[in-house]
Amino acid sequence: MIQIQDFHFKYIGRKAEAIAGVDLHIQQGETVLLLGPSGSGKSTLALALNGLIPHIVGGRMEGQVDIDGLDNRTATVAELSQKVGILFQDPEAQFVTMTVEDEIAFGLENLQVPPEEMDSRIQEALDQVGIGHYRRRRVDALSGGEKQRLALAAVLAMRPQTLVFDEPTANLDPLGTRQVFETIAKLKANGKFTLIIIEHKLDDLMHMIDRVIALTSEGNILVDGIPAYVFGEQTEDLLAEGVWMPQTALLAHQLRNRGLELSPFPTTLAQAEQAFGALGLAITPNGHKPLPKPDNGHPPAVEVRNLSFQYGEIPVLKNINLQVPKGDFLAIIGANGAGKTTLAQHLIETLHPPAGCVLLNGIDVTQIESRDLIRRVGYVFQNPEHQFITNFVDHEVAFGLRQMGLPEDEIDERMTRLLTQFGLEKLAKANPFTLSHGEKRRLSVATMLAVGQETLILDEPTFGQDQRNATALMELLQELHAAGRTVIIITHDMTLVAEYAHHCAVMSAGELLFHGSTEDVFTQPDLLSRARLTLPPLAELSGRLAARQPEWAGMQTVDHFATALAREMLWEEVT
Amino acid sequence: MESLYYQNDSLLHRLNPLSKIVATAPVILFLALTTAPWTPSVFILFFGLITVIWGRIPILRYLKTVTPLLFLITGFLIFYPFAVDPARVAGTGIAFQIGSVVVRWGGIIFGVATALRILSLIFGTLLFVLTTDSSDFIRALVQQWRLSYRIGYSAMAAYRFIPMLHSELAVIRAAHKVRGISDRGGLRAQYDRARRYAVPLLATAIRKAERTALAMDSRAFGAFETRSYFRQLTFARRDWVFIGAFLAVSLALILILAKAGLLGSLVVLQEF
Repeated sequence: MIQIQDFHFKYIGRKAEAIAGVDLHIQQGETVLLLGPSGSGKSTLALALNGLIPHIVGGRMEGQVDIDGLDNRTATVAELSQKVGILFQDPEAQFVTMTVEDEIAFGLENLQVPPEEMDSRIQEALDQVGIGHYRRRRVDALSGGEKQRLALAAVLAMRPQTLVFDEPTANLDPLGTRQVFETIAKLKANGKFTLIIIEHKLDDLMHMIDRVIALTSEGNILVDGIPAYVFGEQTEDLLAEGVWMPQTALLAHQLRNRGLELSPFPTTLAQAEQAFGALGLAITPNGHKPLPKPDNGHPPAVEVRNLSFQYGEIPVLKNINLQVPKGDFLAIIGANGAGKTTLAQHLIETLHPPAGCVLLNGIDVTQIESRDLIRRVGYVFQNPEHQFITNFVDHEVAFGLRQMGLPEDEIDERMTRLLTQFGLEKLAKANPFTLSHGEKRRLSVATMLAVGQETLILDEPTFGQDQRNATALMELLQELHAAGRTVIIITHDMTLVAEYAHHCAVMSAGELLFHGSTEDVFTQPDLLSRARLTLPPLAELSGRLAARQPEWAGMQTVDHFATALAREMLWEEVT
Repeated sequence: MESLYYQNDSLLHRLNPLSKIVATAPVILFLALTTAPWTPSVFILFFGLITVIWGRIPILRYLKTVTPLLFLITGFLIFYPFAVDPARVAGTGIAFQIGSVVVRWGGIIFGVATALRILSLIFGTLLFVLTTDSSDFIRALVQQWRLSYRIGYSAMAAYRFIPMLHSELAVIRAAHKVRGISDRGGLRAQYDRARRYAVPLLATAIRKAERTALAMDSRAFGAFETRSYFRQLTFARRDWVFIGAFLAVSLALILILAKAGLLGSLVVLQEF
C-alpha cells in the first residue's frame, strides 16, 4: 500500500518544483497508469517510491511518502528496494555486468543474500519474465525487448511488491514493446503485485489498467479515476495538458463531438469492438483514399538502385531498390536492425553508396558536392543534441544560412521568421543544450528547414515527446509536405505511420520486403509479422470488426473511422 | 573497442585472474630488461604455447589477434636500423649503404631484438587478456585484493559504456556532417571539430551515467559496507600450482639461456 501526503520535491538548481503537492493512496494489487506531459514529475514520483528520493537524488522534499508503512525518509534504500522496484526506460543504461545471471545476482549481492539462496532466486526471476533459458547468455547478445525483460527480472529477484515501469518501451521496436507488455500482463495475472505504469503507447495496455492518474505540467494531480471516467469525462483537460490518450478513447471522443455516443465509453480495443457492435450500424466502406499522384514531370526525389551494404562481414542492406516520388510522405518501418537508418544514411552520404546506386532528383549522390547536398536533403537525427554545433539558439538557425553565403539582412529575416514559426523566439539567446526536450526537437527541425531543402528525412521525429509537442511537429511536417516537400520518416510508431505516411517501405533483415501505400501495409498481416511489426491499434480494431462485418475493414486512424461513421449517420438522418 | 577475451572454460580461464598476473608479471618485467634476441624468442614461444594449449584458444583466432601487431613490429624492424644511435653500433660490419646512410649489422640486430622484446611483452599480456573475463578480473580485485566494491562495480558498469560512446561518436559525426561541417581541414579545423563533438558526446555520456547510477542505486548498490558474492572467486590449490610451475619453468628457461651464453646483457646492468 502506498500513501502519499502533500508530497513536494524540488531538484537542486531548479526554480520550480517537479512535484508540487501530490496526495495519493494506492491499494495493494492495483494497476495504475500514470500519465502527464514531459516534465510533469512522473519519474520524480517513481523515484520517491523506492527511496532514491530523498536518499540519493539531490533536492528538497516535503510531505510524507509511506510504502507499506515505511516512511521513505527513515527507511533505507536497501529496505525500500525490496518494496518497490523500478524498470527504467533505457535498456542500454541499466546493466552493470556482462552476463544475464550475473546481472540478476548484482541486486541480490547488494542485499547480502547468501550465495546458496541466489541460484533459485535467479532462476525464479528469469522464469517470471519468460527468459529462463537465457541464463548464461551475454547481456549484449539480447534484443531490446529481451534486455528490458532482463532488467525487470533483476528487479523482481529482489522481491518487491510494487513495480514501477517508467516508459519501459520507449526505446523498443513494436515486437519488443509487445514482449514487455505481455510480461507485464503476466505479472498482473499473478495478482500479487501493485503495478504503476508510465507509458504512452496505451492501447495494448489499457485492458490491464484499473486506474488512471494524470499529472499537470506543474506537478499536481490533474485527474484520478477509472479509465472510462478519466478518458471519457476529462478528455478536454487531458488534451489541453498534452497527455497521450488511447486511440480508442480519442476515437470515442471525436465521435461524441459529432453526436455519436458509444456506451459504455471504450478505453480498450475489446470495449470498442463491443460498443461498435452494439451500435448495429451498417457502414459503407471508405474505399481507398486516392493518393496524390506522383508528379511525373519530375525525376523521383530519391531513387535507390541495387544498393547493398556490409558492415564488416555482416550484410546490412541487401540489394535495395526504391523510388520515392517528389512530394511523397514516406515511412521507412521495420524492426530494430532491419537496416532503416543505414539506408537513410546512404541518402545523405554519411555512408557512401557506390556510384549510380543513389540518385537525388535524378542526380547521382556521389556526384553532388557535400556543400550542395545539404541544401537538397535535410536529415533530423533521433537525438536533437547530436546536431547542435553552436552556443546559441539563433546562431544554430543562422548557421546553415551563413553557409549558403546569404547577405546578413536576409539571414536575420529568415532566422527571425523560423524562430517565430517554431515558438523559439524568446529562447534565441539560450544555449541549445539547456532547452526542454520538445524545444530541442523543434530547434533541430528548424535548423534543418532553414536551408529550405526539398527533401527532409527524420529519424524517430516524435521520440520522447509528449502528445502536444508530437502533434505540433507532425502538423508542421504535414504543412511542409502540402507545400510540396518530400518527407521521409523512420519510426517504430505505427499509429504515426497510419496517420501521416502515404507510403511505407517495409524493411526486414536488410531487405526491402514491401513498398506501397500505407493502407496496403496494414491489411497484410503476413507481411507485418514477417517484418516483426504490429498493427496500429485502430487497424487492429478495424480487423476485429471486419471479422463480423466486412465493411469495417481497411480503417486505420481516428479520421478513417470518424469519416465513415459520419457518412453513415448523415445517411441515417436523411432517410 | 572490442574486447579480446575469448570465452571458454579452459584451465587458464578457470584460474583466478590474479594468479595469472602474479605468475606472468615478474617474467614480463624481466623480458622488458633483456637486450638479446634469443630470450624474447624463447618466451614468445613459451607464452604462445601455454595460451593456445591450456587456454584452448583456437590457433587461427590467436594468429588473427597477433597479426596486426606483427605489422607494427615489421615497421619497427625496418626503421630501427636507420634510427639507432650510430655510436652504439660503430664497431659492427656494414650491412648495406644507401647514399650516405650506412646501415650496420649491429643496428639490424638491435632492431630485431627490440622488436622481439616488444612482441614477447605482448604475447605475455595476451595470455592474460585472452583468457580473462574483465568482470572476473574486477571481482578478483574486489574479493582477493580488497579493492572497494563500490569502485570495482562502478568500473564494471563504466566498461559497458565504451562501445556505446564509440557508436555515439559515429552518429554525432554524421549529424555534424549533415549540418555542413566538412570533415576536412587543417589542425585548427580539427580542433574545432573535436570540441564540437565533445559537447554532445559528454552530454550523452553524463546522461547515460546518471541513468545507470539510478538503476544501480535502486537495486540497493552501496547500501551495505559489504556484499555477498554469487561467484566467489578463490585462490585454489591449482592457482598456487600454476604460479609455482610457471615461475619455475620461466626461471629454468632463463638459466638455460644464460648457460648457453644467449641471455645477453640486461638493460639495468648496461645503464649502471
